[in-house]
Amino acid sequence: METYLNNKKLIALGFLLIHSIAILIFTRGFLLTRTELPFHSTCSDVSLSPCFASQHPNHDSSSGQSNQTQPKCWTKPVVDRVIIIVLDALRIDFVAPSVFFPEPKPWMDKLTILQKLAFANRSSAKIFKAFADPPTTSLQRLKGLTTGGLPTFIDVGNSFGAPAIVEDNFINQLVLNGKRLVMMGDDTWTQLFPNQFQKSYPFPSFNVKDLDTVDNGCIEHLFPTLYEDDWDVLIAHFLGVDHAGHIYGVDSSPMINKLEQYNSVLEKVINILESQAGPGGLHENTMLIVMGDHGQTLNGDHGGGTAEEVETTMFAMSTKKHTTLVPPEFDTSSCKQNTDGKQICISSIEQLDFAATLSALLGISFPFGSIGHINPELYALGSSSWNLDDSGLGNFGTQSAAKEWMKHFVNVLCVNAWQVKRYIDVYSNSSVVGFSSDDMSRISDLYSAAEQNWSNSVKHILMDKNGDEGSTDISALLKEQIAAYLNFFSSVVELARSKWTEFNLNLMITGFGILVISLILQFLAVFHGDKSYAVGSWLSTGAAFSLFIVTIRACSFLSNSYILEEGKVANFLLATTGLIKLRYSVMRKTMRKEAFIFLAMVSVLRVSIDIGLTKQAATSQFMSSSPSWMLGIAPDHPALTYAVEIAPILSVVILICVLYIAISKAPSEGLWKYVTIGSMVSYFFIALLWASESKIFGLDGLLQVTGGRNRIPQTVYVIGLVQLCLLASTRMFCAGKDKNWAIRTVALVSACSSPVVLMSGKQGSMLALAHLVAGYCIMRLEGVERRTQSDGQSKFSKLNPLCVVQWSLLSICMFFASGHWCAFDGLRYGAAFVGFDEFVLVRQAILLTIETFGFSIILSVFGLPLLVPIHSQTPQAHGEKRHQLFQMYMLFGVISATTVTATILCVTIQRRHLMVWGLFAPKFVFDVVGLILTDLLICLASAYYL
Amino acid sequence: MKEAKKKKTPEISIGVSISALGAFSVYLITGLFLAVGFWVIHNIYFVDLISDPSLTLRLLWIIEFPIVVIIYSLLRRNPEKCSYFRAVGRSIVGLISGALINAFGAVSLGAPIGMQSLPRTIHWSFLMSVFTVVPATAVFGASWTDWHRVFASLKPTGNIEYMILIPAYGAIIGAWFGAWPMPLDWERPWQEWPVCVCYGAIGGCIVGQIVSLSLMILLRKHKNLKLA
Repeated sequence: METYLNNKKLIALGFLLIHSIAILIFTRGFLLTRTELPFHSTCSDVSLSPCFASQHPNHDSSSGQSNQTQPKCWTKPVVDRVIIIVLDALRIDFVAPSVFFPEPKPWMDKLTILQKLAFANRSSAKIFKAFADPPTTSLQRLKGLTTGGLPTFIDVGNSFGAPAIVEDNFINQLVLNGKRLVMMGDDTWTQLFPNQFQKSYPFPSFNVKDLDTVDNGCIEHLFPTLYEDDWDVLIAHFLGVDHAGHIYGVDSSPMINKLEQYNSVLEKVINILESQAGPGGLHENTMLIVMGDHGQTLNGDHGGGTAEEVETTMFAMSTKKHTTLVPPEFDTSSCKQNTDGKQICISSIEQLDFAATLSALLGISFPFGSIGHINPELYALGSSSWNLDDSGLGNFGTQSAAKEWMKHFVNVLCVNAWQVKRYIDVYSNSSVVGFSSDDMSRISDLYSAAEQNWSNSVKHILMDKNGDEGSTDISALLKEQIAAYLNFFSSVVELARSKWTEFNLNLMITGFGILVISLILQFLAVFHGDKSYAVGSWLSTGAAFSLFIVTIRACSFLSNSYILEEGKVANFLLATTGLIKLRYSVMRKTMRKEAFIFLAMVSVLRVSIDIGLTKQAATSQFMSSSPSWMLGIAPDHPALTYAVEIAPILSVVILICVLYIAISKAPSEGLWKYVTIGSMVSYFFIALLWASESKIFGLDGLLQVTGGRNRIPQTVYVIGLVQLCLLASTRMFCAGKDKNWAIRTVALVSACSSPVVLMSGKQGSMLALAHLVAGYCIMRLEGVERRTQSDGQSKFSKLNPLCVVQWSLLSICMFFASGHWCAFDGLRYGAAFVGFDEFVLVRQAILLTIETFGFSIILSVFGLPLLVPIHSQTPQAHGEKRHQLFQMYMLFGVISATTVTATILCVTIQRRHLMVWGLFAPKFVFDVVGLILTDLLICLASAYYL
Repeated sequence: MKEAKKKKTPEISIGVSISALGAFSVYLITGLFLAVGFWVIHNIYFVDLISDPSLTLRLLWIIEFPIVVIIYSLLRRNPEKCSYFRAVGRSIVGLISGALINAFGAVSLGAPIGMQSLPRTIHWSFLMSVFTVVPATAVFGASWTDWHRVFASLKPTGNIEYMILIPAYGAIIGAWFGAWPMPLDWERPWQEWPVCVCYGAIGGCIVGQIVSLSLMILLRKHKNLKLA
């Protein structure tokens, strides 16, 4: 029996390992991480690049006047103003003509003005098929569009919580370069860029049912602004199509109405632009871009990476007329005959390239973290016109103009390639999870090959003023150089995509599979060596009911609503078990008082959970707040203030009394008692601290005496650490002498509880008291549903799953009742600074973890032995009890693992859900951290108790 | 043991016994009054459960309570010792205490608390009390042994106890399941407290009545077979 139990400690360790591996594998497939770098590009950086050092004289001689009149940053500005109209969730088939699709659908060909412009003769407009990178949610896409990078769910940076972008981005560069920005529409922009806009007209975006508020607000401000000259870049973000998709789907009349409305808006915008496009006009050299941030499925969902979601569109138009100069090698157009037999073409672009291309067009430095390249076709829309004017169209003709454009373009690409290479180098040096050295060397090879080519031949061609002779030779060289750069860009992007954006379904399924297997193993471990009881307990109503409760809770995670209200669901289930226990206790005519007190405690917890939910609703974008729980008492009523001040201190005093009773009743003496007395001292300090913080006791002077408000918390932490060390050493050196769990459990739990209570703040002591009372009731009610009293006596070591389920539900309720919820803004950052003023990452992270999981995991796992009823002290029963305790720990582990498995299954199924990054992924992170912590503590606890 | 008990029941039963048909007619009358209640609320007060839950619930239990008391007091235990009016009186006490118990259960399960929803919770508890506790108080009175045997130990004897026990449990379980759609984000008006819980309770009660009727018929056949 002894060796068998010693092996059991290893079983707990084994499950910790299996769970860690499973979760690691799953997480590598699901949560992709990227480090945000704090660096910014500046205009002067470009002197480090190999592209310009000998380039300046050339430019000065050929187009000197423009260089002197306007200060040049990285590239020569080619457009003056840009209007970006973002139509949220714009599918490609909303814009592209229906001939590009297998069959025409009612929602196609509604934005006729864009088609008309793009396919007119000698047009300076083009329709692009734009590819977005998942996650295709608006926030991540806007981040991607402006930074030119690939945002992932966890962009590890210093902006935990606040969504504002700290990475270098296009908007930031515009501001640095003195451009003036105007924004209207979706308020996500103002969240991302709180200070950058000179003027902004944000409208709330989260009410999906409202199709018109944002759009009407946009339209109202858009037209007057177009006539003004106090901006350089205008952003208008319309949300109607996205909302119509979410509510009605794509094939619906509200959607078609929205598209028709947009068509008339765009028509009006283009009319205004064209009326002002003459020489000297307001929009002489303006570029209009109409784009979607992502696509949507026919049901209106987006977030994932299916073709429908990532394929969106971009329409670009320059107010200057010109012909295209892009050499056919770099033309990505796909063409179709339309019904009139006319050839119509649409090009394609990656959204990744948006930031770099627009930076080049406006002549500002590229965002530091951009990995896109300048799209030749979009760049040509702006720059061709400039080039034609500049080099004198009359003499050269299109052939030579194209060559001139290519020279310019290859120069810009050189800067672009240098910037991307710089970012990749810096990233892999400074990131925790950088790229592998193989990948890095491959990219470096490509870059240096292109660079070699550049400095050997192309640079000389560009410097050569008489580029006329052997023009075919030169254009072939230029084309080769462009191709080399494009090759470099595509391999960088490919590498970044595989690291940063793709779900790896194989890894996810493998991780899930391992977890399911471990679940089965753990389930077997619960009943291992327990054959005689197994059948009996399996068939008992208690076991069946436990299974029912755990299954319901696991299934509830499949719906986002139940995840949002998880605390309420757990409380509902806990109260249900309480009611069942009440029925049994009435039936057996025992413990009715305990059953009632348990239900009362559950009611208290639910009030606390409600308060937590209202806090959550204040920040969550998915919940509406429901102030219905509020009692009709004025918050500053004097009696209430007194109650709020006194109740926590009173609870601490009661806790001290409980500890005193516990140690005075215990039969054995020794170290355990002294440890418990240490906790009583800690509690006394906590009460003293709170009393001195409140005004009503007149103990203000106390803080000065003790030396600042940090002294007491630090003392409490030190006492806790000393207690834990004492307990561990006692356990190691005096093993097996003391067989009484109760006092050992009390010692350990009390040692852990004082820091937890301290950090949880004033509600902490009351919650600890509620936890204690509810736990006591669970212990008393354990086995109340057994047939008869004698039956329970004789077979006391039979495992009772229902009480473990209750304990586990209680711990979940405690998590929510102590004001937490499964989101990063649900962490109580303030708690990490109880007792410390300055920030040290490791220390504060440990404190925050203890605070977050203190009640729900640390105290619950260590306190589990309190549920073992104290019936007999005979030595032979002790072995049985150890076995039972082991089973209880395994069962507690199974329950936690079941819920985590359900969460993981749900995340896998819902990985394309609208709320996957807002709701499911944070829930996943919290659950997974909780499970690992539970396993770890079960290991420690079984080492300590068994 | 069980057989012995069942055989003994007709002798020790001192109340009025009722046939399955009688039980059916009782259910029919109470159900009819519930329907009348809904009709009155809809056509005279022009509200329904969704638009004004507290008024609707109040009218429902006020209409339903007398008929339940009138019928079940006829079926009271020990009719010779306990007068009809005493049965009525104690069922009023039962109504109030039952409402308290139901409200306590609902609050611990998560019913909204606060001034806004207080009237709804109160009237819902009264309605639940009419479904669950009032028939039992009318029949059993304060006889704790009967209560304990029927409700806690689930050992009903005779048709009347089936009529009390099974619909009451049905209403509670139905209300429990009725709470499940409440957190969903469908934003339908019936997801408000206590609309769907009421529907659940009424549905559960009806299911319980059907189950109890079929049990009565089945057990009678069983008994007849046994006797034959």
